[in-house]
Amino acid sequence: MNRIVSKLKENKKILSLYFTAGYPNLADTLPTLKQMEAADVDLVEIGLPFSDPLADGPTIQNSSTQALNNGMTTQKLFEQLAGVREHINMPLIIMGYFNPVLQYGVDAFCAQCAQIGIDGLILPDLPLEEYQEHYQPIFEKYGLANIFLITPQTSDARIRQIDAASNAFIYMVSTASVTGSKSGFGPEQTTYFKRVSDMGLKNPLIVGFGIKDQETFDTATEYTQGAIIGSACIKHLTENGPQGIDTFVKSVRP
Amino acid sequence: MNRNTAEVDALAADYLGFIFWEPSKRAFQGKMPVLAPNTKKIGVFVDASIKEVLQKTTEFDLDGVQLHGSESPEYCASLRQELTQPKKVESDVRLSAVSADRQAVEAPVIIKAFAVGSTFDFSILKAFEAHTDYFLFDTKGKLPGGNGAAFDWTLLQDYPSTTPFFLSGGIGPENLTNIQEFLASPAAAHCHALDLNSKFETAPGLKDTQALEAFITIIRTPNMQTYHADENGYYGEFGGAYIPEMLYPNVAELKAKYLEIMAEPSFQEEFQQLLKDYVGRPSPLYFAKRLSERYNTKIYLKREDLNHTGAHKVNNTIGQILMAKRLGKKRIIAETGAGQHGVATATVCALMGMECIVYMGEIDIARQAPNVARMKMLGATVVPALSGSRTLKDATNEAIRDWINNPIDTHYIIGSVVGPHPYPDMVARFQAVISEEIEWQLLEKEGRKNPDYVIACVGGGSNAAGAFYQYLDRPEVGIIAVEAAGKGVDSGESAATSALGKVGIIHGSKTLLMQTPDGQITEPYSISAGLDYPGVGPMHAHLFQSGRGEFISITDADAMKAGLELCELEGIIPAIESSHAFAVLEKKQFKPDDVVVINLSGRGDKDLNTYIDYFKL
Repeated sequence: MNRIVSKLKENKKILSLYFTAGYPNLADTLPTLKQMEAADVDLVEIGLPFSDPLADGPTIQNSSTQALNNGMTTQKLFEQLAGVREHINMPLIIMGYFNPVLQYGVDAFCAQCAQIGIDGLILPDLPLEEYQEHYQPIFEKYGLANIFLITPQTSDARIRQIDAASNAFIYMVSTASVTGSKSGFGPEQTTYFKRVSDMGLKNPLIVGFGIKDQETFDTATEYTQGAIIGSACIKHLTENGPQGIDTFVKSVRP
Repeated sequence: MNRNTAEVDALAADYLGFIFWEPSKRAFQGKMPVLAPNTKKIGVFVDASIKEVLQKTTEFDLDGVQLHGSESPEYCASLRQELTQPKKVESDVRLSAVSADRQAVEAPVIIKAFAVGSTFDFSILKAFEAHTDYFLFDTKGKLPGGNGAAFDWTLLQDYPSTTPFFLSGGIGPENLTNIQEFLASPAAAHCHALDLNSKFETAPGLKDTQALEAFITIIRTPNMQTYHADENGYYGEFGGAYIPEMLYPNVAELKAKYLEIMAEPSFQEEFQQLLKDYVGRPSPLYFAKRLSERYNTKIYLKREDLNHTGAHKVNNTIGQILMAKRLGKKRIIAETGAGQHGVATATVCALMGMECIVYMGEIDIARQAPNVARMKMLGATVVPALSGSRTLKDATNEAIRDWINNPIDTHYIIGSVVGPHPYPDMVARFQAVISEEIEWQLLEKEGRKNPDYVIACVGGGSNAAGAFYQYLDRPEVGIIAVEAAGKGVDSGESAATSALGKVGIIHGSKTLLMQTPDGQITEPYSISAGLDYPGVGPMHAHLFQSGRGEFISITDADAMKAGLELCELEGIIPAIESSHAFAVLEKKQFKPDDVVVINLSGRGDKDLNTYIDYFKL
């Protein structure tokens, strides 16, 4: 069974971290993953940096620019991750924009992911329709989960469509925003989390965007199965590098 | 006898038929009128002798014959042999292989017509295939054609041949939807043309040109037009909407409503009124006499530089602000590179009293200070884009991020034929006013709607999309797109996307874009700030890849020289973007009687500092 699916079957609130590969230093990718595994993180999204990340706020953009300046490339990332399954048992997801994947070749990219032991992909600018028309058979051939986003503006009908096309979890964007730009959740978020939770979808919901501490983590997971921390994790890496991730994790989920 | 042949010809049909069967109410008599050079004259015969067919073919210089009787395969074979005999050449001194080839190509085509009923045996076609160029399928009726009834086109589902065919018989406005469905179906794979006749007549032989024009326009969009966007915004393999889910509701709303809103009479009325009274349209089509003499061809300039705000950009911003109002939006965002689109957006926001936020790269803000000042005077907030390379592509990213953050009340006015569907198509439709005007202006001046060539510069490509729009599906009109080569295509400082780009995704659209092998988008360079976009609109990517458009890249130096030449010969200071289009005159030889339209997309006031620095004025 796909590692993501197994993990989601555990009766716990999932804590997922996002970090940009090759940041703050090119060689930090694997040490960061090891620190995360040691800190009992449930799920990790490895960011494949892109020059024009239009769904991201300044924190993740800057980390991507830095990683590219460090020399990170798709090929480099695959090399760094070649032996990752010797050390890491957490489910791993690669999150990136579609153009670098397209240039690598979607089939070749997915094949590499499968070989390394990557469990799923999040490609925010590969929309549902394109995925279903052109790429779904490739993802399925390599056993990769594709994870779609929904937002507070996504209609119920489309949420159901996305649920039907998903096979791991649904990435629930907390607010209408790019990453890292909102502080705290209000009643409208809680209403939205509950509304979608009550839809009885087949896939679990994991909330992302705007989660940065224990309070936001607890709010986000009240009605959902987990939460993803991106920009706040990058800020930690900017200040400390891979060291001390366990402290950061404890501050969110004691 | 068709009594209004010339008017019908003006509708730019590909073929016109002349009936040489005397019993017909529409039989042709008298003199052949002068037709547009690209219209093919087809003689329609019913069991005529080969001698008669040949005689009429020569007499009227027919481009083809349509056989509407019970002509046999053997008849077709004999006729074909006669028609392909090289005509007697008066001077046979230089009958080269080339001219012999030409004659073979130009031999009149044979179209064999069949009356199709429910029992039609398609296997009889086989024997004709070697001796005919096209088949024509008409309704089985009392007369050989012209019965005015449609047959069941689904019979063609099992069409066993690859010979292209004309579909005929009772095609008219009332079955427009059916014909569109048919054309979109696999059964139409080999459908070459539609044959329109009695359904468009007010009396036998008298065509209702208005009804014909309306029908032709609709039928050419979108089903028959391969160079326009399909319903998902694809031009061939390019286009689409590669957007994060956060943008989906806004883009889906726009996609669902834009065509409907644009078709509303009140929208059209307001749009046309503003184009006329506020923008100052129609912009003149000016015959550039001295430039024409210099290059020994007939050059017309489409004067978009005379529009309010000094360029074509305002055509689109007027259209989009009216769209935004009808969508109930309160807040407008835009990106700008050199500031032209920012100024055009700030202008229409002031006109409509709407909030306006313009994203502009920090570097561009520094080098385009006058336009920043204009936008501020017009009440816009100019927000510097601080990410990435801090130029146009980053300003576009920031505008998209703003839209993600403000999904309810905001409309994003994209300034070119780029971005996710429906933007490329919507912007092209607003800019199409350029070629709509060229058509009637040229008809007034030259007696023809079609120039031989249309030339326009391409950054994202909105002025080019507007100048090409009406001509996209008329292969007889040459389309020349001019890109900025910067310091040379191979210099590493260039914006020639067709030469340097590869298929990829930028700003929500699949298109050609300049990128590293790893898929990171690179920064283009051109002396002209309006042409340094790393991608190109998906329409243009398709025009390039299909070969429909000729793409020429022009260096900074050649563009500057051409700009100065236009000043000296015609007293017009062009925008440096437009100067690139003029530099084509040095690169490509046109014939003396060619009619060449150059889209003069903007005026050069904004570029004065660049001209001053470059020419040390």
